[in-house]
Amino acid sequence: MTHLDAEHFDQNARAALQDATLRQALRRATDLFAERRARAIGAVEDWEALREQARAIKAHTLARLDHYLTQFADQAERAGVKVHWAKDAAAACRIVAQIAADHDCHRLVKAKSMATEEIGLNAALARADKEPIETDLGEWIIQLAGETPSHIIVPAIHKTRQAIGALFVDQLGIPPTTEPAVLADHARQRLRAHFAQADLGISGVNFGVAETGTILILENEGNARMTTTLPRVHIAVMGIEKVIPRFADLEVFLRLLPRSGTGQHLTTYQSLLTGPSPQDGPRELHVVLLDNGRSRIVADEAMRSTLACIRCGACLNACPVYQQIGGHAYGSVYPGPIGAILSPQLDGHAGATTLPFASSLCGACKDVCPVKIDIPSLLLELRHRAVLSPPPHQRRRPFLERLGFRLWAFCHRGPRRQALLMFLTRLLLRVPGVRRLGPAGAWTATRELPAPPRLPFRRRPEARR
Amino acid sequence: MNDRESMLAALRNGLCGTTAPPLPPVLPSPELPGKDCAERFATMLRQVGGACEQVRDLAAAARRVAELLAAAEVRSLAVSDAPELAGVLEALPPTIRVYGPESDRTTLLAADCGLSTAQVGIAETGSLVLVAADERHRLCSLLPPRHLVLLPCSRLCASLGAALAALSSPDGRPRSPTVTFVTGPSRTADIELELVIGVHGPRHLHVLLIELP
Repeated sequence: MTHLDAEHFDQNARAALQDATLRQALRRATDLFAERRARAIGAVEDWEALREQARAIKAHTLARLDHYLTQFADQAERAGVKVHWAKDAAAACRIVAQIAADHDCHRLVKAKSMATEEIGLNAALARADKEPIETDLGEWIIQLAGETPSHIIVPAIHKTRQAIGALFVDQLGIPPTTEPAVLADHARQRLRAHFAQADLGISGVNFGVAETGTILILENEGNARMTTTLPRVHIAVMGIEKVIPRFADLEVFLRLLPRSGTGQHLTTYQSLLTGPSPQDGPRELHVVLLDNGRSRIVADEAMRSTLACIRCGACLNACPVYQQIGGHAYGSVYPGPIGAILSPQLDGHAGATTLPFASSLCGACKDVCPVKIDIPSLLLELRHRAVLSPPPHQRRRPFLERLGFRLWAFCHRGPRRQALLMFLTRLLLRVPGVRRLGPAGAWTATRELPAPPRLPFRRRPEARR
Repeated sequence: MNDRESMLAALRNGLCGTTAPPLPPVLPSPELPGKDCAERFATMLRQVGGACEQVRDLAAAARRVAELLAAAEVRSLAVSDAPELAGVLEALPPTIRVYGPESDRTTLLAADCGLSTAQVGIAETGSLVLVAADERHRLCSLLPPRHLVLLPCSRLCASLGAALAALSSPDGRPRSPTVTFVTGPSRTADIELELVIGVHGPRHLHVLLIELP
């Protein structure tokens, strides 16, 4: 199992940078994604209007989430759904395990869902000897390899076809191949046997409609349809921020999400489920509403828009940091720019002092976000908070750092002092080797620091005269 | 206090004093280029790897279904309970075994092809809308490696928004507990983002657009 450790982002990132195969796979994938997305949204005339609409709907809904969540739960119950309330990860896992036990379910299948990754559901169910089989091809690969996903949309983005081929030979005993179509066919055959036997299906939820109590699940492979059709019980785990007010609002989100995520007009399948359907589907539909820190984010006006995210993954593909190091280096379930703002705020506060700094604040994430989350501003706010309330062992900054900043402040209190500081700095920088000393080394180890100019900037206008 | 009340109370306390920005009115659906829904539907469906052809009427559709099943060497056919299919099934050779929605799962999982209609077709995206309350096609559209669909042109609508509107009854409640949108054959790009058609759902999706009712 890959170790999730957001507190050591620096070390993780450094290790990822040394992995040539990983960087090649990432470069290829993120380039392709960006290209497909650009082509898909180029064909939409009112793209900006759609984004603004989605942003406004989410801003309204989150500010009245108590109201819409109540409406969603009431409507879902009216349609025959059994609604459960989980305040944290442990409660959610307990609820799912209890439903499995109550219905005597032993063969579990699961469709791709970030919420279930967030709560560590597989590990929790494995303790009851009921670990579900992942059925999304990427998730299944990750499960076979004993790893964790490194991308929200394409969990195995960090693995090459050679690595996947070798994994299948090793785990399934198939003849050697690196052909994606052949590998996918083996997955189809193996997973069909699981689907045929399964008595409990677990999925996530992309959108929950308050007006009707409907849940939506988007996918391309058909495994989510299988998971929500064949077993006699279906459990959907849904973050409470997934609620949208009106059924008609689905149009804007269905036009935004697939285009942003994979560059498709629409994903191959959308399942709209309003209650159980005993005739050709599960006899029971359970929805587990998950808080796990979300109500705290809702209450925090400056950070509330974090929860507008529809998990398209576009910010990952656009991020120059993610492009170089991939998802595992973040050490949290949600990687990339959205992970850097979401993970520190959820229960567990993963990487609160590291992840908000894992960005160059270039703004590419904000530009591609389909719901216009201002990720750079949210990162800055989290940095601000991390500095104001550091963990106990960092509360007092080192002596040299405090001295340095006191000197810095002193020198900037008047033009003469500042001129003197600059003069001394120019002299100092001429000393060979000094540019790599101390904290400067973190920057100059991989970059050139330009030599100081002969004439300081503030003297240039008079020199020109 | 139970879990529901305590979670809602946490939200309510956190939002106390917050003024919500207004909920914007629903955007109008986009105007689509081109007048002909059938043509656009076919173009969009082909773009995502589906097959689409137009036939004149139900009788022509029946002949075409028989041809397609023969060409694909289909031996077992999973069908829905749509009344439109009765004439089509009569025209099939007796060598093809036909299984209705009541058949057991193992049989349906092993069927060579599924046959159904769809309740709505969306021209904007080339999508089929399967309304399970109107037709029992949930399994035959999913389990076999092929799915053959009869779609009268009269059921085509221009946009995704129009299709969503058609799914609600006048009182605003959904008409069906299960609705599935299908846009092309099953696909994945989970290995190096290389497109592979046909993973868990049907590998082949073939739509016959019927001009006359």
